[in-house]
Amino acid sequence: MRRTGLAALVCLALAPLAFGQAPSKSVAAKGGTSAEEELKQIDHKWLDAEKRYDVAYCEKFFSDSYVLVLADGQMLTKKQWLGILGSAADRPTLEVLNPDDIQVHLFGNVAILTDHTTIKGHDSKGNSMDGQYRVFRVVTKENGSWRAAGVVMNKIG
Amino acid sequence: MRCIQIAFFGAMVAVASLSIALGQANQPVKRAPGAAGENIAETVSVLDHVWLDAAHNRDTGTMAWLFADKFVEVHPGGEMVNKQQQIDQIKDPSGELMELHPDEIQVRYTSPDVAFLTDTTTIRARSGGKNYNGRFRVIRVFVKQGGRWRAAGAGIVPIANP
Repeated sequence: MRRTGLAALVCLALAPLAFGQAPSKSVAAKGGTSAEEELKQIDHKWLDAEKRYDVAYCEKFFSDSYVLVLADGQMLTKKQWLGILGSAADRPTLEVLNPDDIQVHLFGNVAILTDHTTIKGHDSKGNSMDGQYRVFRVVTKENGSWRAAGVVMNKIG
Repeated sequence: MRCIQIAFFGAMVAVASLSIALGQANQPVKRAPGAAGENIAETVSVLDHVWLDAAHNRDTGTMAWLFADKFVEVHPGGEMVNKQQQIDQIKDPSGELMELHPDEIQVRYTSPDVAFLTDTTTIRARSGGKNYNGRFRVIRVFVKQGGRWRAAGAGIVPIANP
């Protein structure tokens, strides 16, 4: 009886892992690798978290070395950017923050993601941020997990 | 050619080591030890200079040596180029490179096989029918492949005038 219960628990524990791995295999069959697909998903989750002002997610996901270079060349550290994102008075209003055309350039423990990000919104002073941006993103693998390390934004339209 | 590159790199290490010793901006946020005796932050700081000197001097041999095969660079304005495209742009005789040098190098992260830094690069150039004049904020990424550090990519954006 005890063995049956244990086996059932093992099955339950392994089932989510098996389901979690399934999409990667299908992507690999389409020509992408599971790592590339994982990194594309990370790009989407990253921007979703910023759009929702999910500072807790960003706090965990951003490397301590994180640096954000805005389209005007202004550079913000992790502490500075999360300080802005966490402040209702200072943070931008982001109605749309959507990455497309994500390209993954994988180099082992670091990946460079380039994407075309659409932004609709305005900064805390009401200045429009609407536009299309070519974004250069750096993610590093630290202790087995991908973390955001750097961003450079160029406005292209 | 390889001997010349190694000798050139050695000379650059000496020059850059002196600059760093004298206090040029280099404030790592996170460092990890590299191979025995290797100072990764110092090495990639030197390679930043090697990279831009090679471009300035149209030394495409050094650029090919330095750039990883999957190199990618996003230029000011958002143009994206791979290794061959970047080298071709530098080789283009219609282009002009009057000034190209990095300042304020800050190594932000190092691990045994990854490093990235930020710098402020001054560019006065004409390339691909576009003029580049001013100061630019840059993230440069380096990876260790086959026992040596190579440039993986860079993202560049102009610094707006205040």
